[in-house]
Amino acid sequence: MTGLILENVEKHYGTACAVKDVNLHLPEGKLVCFLGPSGCGKTTLLRMIAGLETLSGGEIRLDGEDIGQTPAHLRNFGMVFQSLALFPHMTVGENIAYPLKLRGVGKAEQQARVVELLQLIQLSEMIDRPVSKLSGGQRQRVAIARAIAARPKLLLLDEPLSALDAKLRESMQVEIRQLQQRLNITTIMVTHDQREAMTMADIVVVLGEHRVQQVGTPIEIYRHPANEFVADFIGSGNIFPATILGGGRIGLPGGESIEVPSSAGVKTGKQVRMLVRPEDLQLSAPESTAGHNRLLGTVIFVRDIGSTIETIVECSGVSFTALSTPCQGIGLGVGHRVSVTIPAEACRVLAA
Amino acid sequence: MSLSSSKRLSILPGETGRFAGILSGIILLLAVLPILTMIVMSFSGASNLDFPPSSYSLQWYRAAWQTIVSPDASDVLSLGKAMTTSLLVACLTMVFATLVAVPAAYALVRCEFRGKAVALQLMSLPLVFPMVVLGLALLLVFDSLPFQMSFSRLVIAHVILALPFVVKNCTAAMLSIGSEVEEAAQMLGASPQRAILDVVVPLMKSGILAGMLLAFIVSFNEFTVTYFLYTIDVMTVPIWMYSRTVSSLDPTVFSFAVLIVLIDFVLIWALEKLVGEGGVSF
Repeated sequence: MTGLILENVEKHYGTACAVKDVNLHLPEGKLVCFLGPSGCGKTTLLRMIAGLETLSGGEIRLDGEDIGQTPAHLRNFGMVFQSLALFPHMTVGENIAYPLKLRGVGKAEQQARVVELLQLIQLSEMIDRPVSKLSGGQRQRVAIARAIAARPKLLLLDEPLSALDAKLRESMQVEIRQLQQRLNITTIMVTHDQREAMTMADIVVVLGEHRVQQVGTPIEIYRHPANEFVADFIGSGNIFPATILGGGRIGLPGGESIEVPSSAGVKTGKQVRMLVRPEDLQLSAPESTAGHNRLLGTVIFVRDIGSTIETIVECSGVSFTALSTPCQGIGLGVGHRVSVTIPAEACRVLAA
Repeated sequence: MSLSSSKRLSILPGETGRFAGILSGIILLLAVLPILTMIVMSFSGASNLDFPPSSYSLQWYRAAWQTIVSPDASDVLSLGKAMTTSLLVACLTMVFATLVAVPAAYALVRCEFRGKAVALQLMSLPLVFPMVVLGLALLLVFDSLPFQMSFSRLVIAHVILALPFVVKNCTAAMLSIGSEVEEAAQMLGASPQRAILDVVVPLMKSGILAGMLLAFIVSFNEFTVTYFLYTIDVMTVPIWMYSRTVSSLDPTVFSFAVLIVLIDFVLIWALEKLVGEGGVSF
């Protein structure tokens, strides 16, 4: 089997567990994101793949070969660190040529590769600059060029964009993603920013509480979260308790009931948690009360941030957050009565 | 009118008052006074040690020059030989102290081991230990050895004395190097040893150089411990000067002292140049 395979990988520090039961298959040429809150073990997992941390258990295989015990410098993986870790005593060109020098590549060939990479990252004129004279974005690009200089089998990115300001980060996300697709290099990126993961990844691995919570494409993870942890971590969601009534209906805490997609396998009378995304909720004037999955509620807070309006509505014992655009706005204020429509197909039963 | 035009009563943070200025002036003067006295005395025209000298001349510099070019038979040891010994001991001390301190600094910063705190304490012990006791203790140890050491025991003693300074400077330099650059070198294909040589050592450079120069200065000026360990054939410049003052106190020593202060001054200036402000820890 080609690609990177992790089998029952785990890591303990003394009695504390960093990650456990990690089973993953990362196919060739894809960009995989390890996404999770801080302290979930995503960086530890990346460092184990890199060979900078030992495994407490399990196996890591690359194209069928067990690499779990191979020292980092023999793995031929490129890595971009959170601090970038450029060598301050070398110029841009020397930094990029360093992995080539270590592999005994001839001077002329080193030079050619450095020039080629600098063209790729559009910093050709910077070859003799000391790295301290570069801007944040330029350093970022040099770190990537250095990591891919020796044509590694795998590119590892450890929160590489966290030091950049928001605007630059957004453009670098696109730039890195385009570069990765052009080079068709298998890449693993660690991030805690779900927007970054959604922008860049082919496959997102959601990590939480020291284990893998869900693996899937960005949209799968957003639309079909496997459990409450994922639903809560990815995007903002309305998660509320409900009771299964049977016949495709659920009861809300306030006694009202709404229709949901058939929740096969969940017994009638069981207490469950439901998810509805804020952008799926529709608000309308309170007089149109009668209707499908329409509840009457009271506005308790309005957060108008210009591009979108978040309205928090209390109905049937649950505070729902509804997201709307200004043109959909119906001029609501705190205390107003409003109708909330919850489309049946937008509701998801999370694990009970 | 406005508040800004009213009289300023208090000193703003970061400003020093006149009192502080005068006080630091006095302290500075006290610190430089011995050196100034020495320089003035070295230009004395009189044949005694009265201060201030009644007249000024270069006679003692001439006398000092004579001692160097044609050693007096009455001198137990020529200054030239003492100078050679001093320089050799200082250079060897510098080399050995650095060879010990660089790996020690690496281990103290990067590695976690049992007794790390104790090792740190022991390292700086020579700084607080009474020199006389240290000299005596070293003499007892060296004399109990079954073989004779004369030159090498000076080097060993000086390495012990210089080590705290060198380790301190190297550790300070090491602390500013994140482990990520070392890991980055490894990810790029450097073995752990190669990563240290290619990345850590070059980044420690200023700390290492500062430590080396300090080791040289400590060794070159060392007196107390050396006094216990020198032999009649192997003595350093400070010992030579002391024995000369004891036998015949004439202002020639001051001329030599001016020379030595000059050497130290150049070395310290070089140190500041190499490391830049705030880099050296004494």
